[in-house]
Amino acid sequence: MKELTAVQQDALVELLNIGFGRAAASLSQLTGHRVLLEVPQVTLHDVADVGEALERVVQGHVASVHQIFTGPVAGDALLILDESGAAILKELLTNEPALPLAIDASAREVITEVGNILLNACLGTFGNLLKVQVSFSVPHLSIENVGAILESLLVAHQGIRYALVVHAGFRLRDTQVTGYMMIVLSVASLDRLIRAVEDWEHTQY
Amino acid sequence: MKAKILLVDDSALARRAVRQMLESAGYDVAEAEDGMIGLERYFLEKPDLVLLDLVMKGMNGLDVLTKLQQLDATVRVIVVSADVQDSSREMAVAAGASGFLNKPVDRAGLLAAVAKALEGIA
Repeated sequence: MKELTAVQQDALVELLNIGFGRAAASLSQLTGHRVLLEVPQVTLHDVADVGEALERVVQGHVASVHQIFTGPVAGDALLILDESGAAILKELLTNEPALPLAIDASAREVITEVGNILLNACLGTFGNLLKVQVSFSVPHLSIENVGAILESLLVAHQGIRYALVVHAGFRLRDTQVTGYMMIVLSVASLDRLIRAVEDWEHTQY
Repeated sequence: MKAKILLVDDSALARRAVRQMLESAGYDVAEAEDGMIGLERYFLEKPDLVLLDLVMKGMNGLDVLTKLQQLDATVRVIVVSADVQDSSREMAVAAGASGFLNKPVDRAGLLAAVAKALEGIA
């Protein structure tokens, strides 16, 4: 299976740090809380193993905002929150009380827009740095288990063999909101991404 | 007379947040939840300025902007989008937008952009 060299991995993580950092800044601006961001993880998988890889990161019933992005580099971007985190995020942004058992219409609206802002901030920053134009689909919110989310990704990507999975965990300080941003790319896009990252890296030094 | 501003955005959260900022600064605000309704409301409400999202269900913001320009060459539009790409900003300005703001918008930045876009309106 194709593997990333250490140099490619390093350059990719640096780029992701910048993109996720921009997203974290947006989330901090929205909520008024400092956002603590984990170091992004980059792993390459056979498509059949993507589910297993994602389930190592998140389990159970989650709220996910999914946006497909297209252009020279194409794939799926996801914001994933557990249900209680989604409810608390709604409370932070609307001042309406979080409901413990259900993600109501107001929470759905909040999570969808937060996902839209964060995923655009992250991928748009990549677009700027790599000088590629990325187009986004309308964000789609799902409340379901991780397996169902994966099925929707894999159906959309029939025919691809490998996928690059990038994820970064985040936490809003002084709250119980934790979540993940995740990007799934086909290897065709990965090759273009790597070339663009290498070009970008050469401009940095 | 208070200037009237039309918000075209498929996110109710985004509309609510921007509406509060604009109303607190004394503007009249109308809303549309997608591009098609935005076009209808533009001609019903005759706003002085449109704040327009880019990625929406149905007509996307750039199509709405182009249509508005075709129907009213004097239309003033600020694009308000989560898309932070320089190329998207350039496309919006090339399509006739008089400003481009990234979400989440901050109140000071929004009001400054609105005041600038409304310059020259009595």
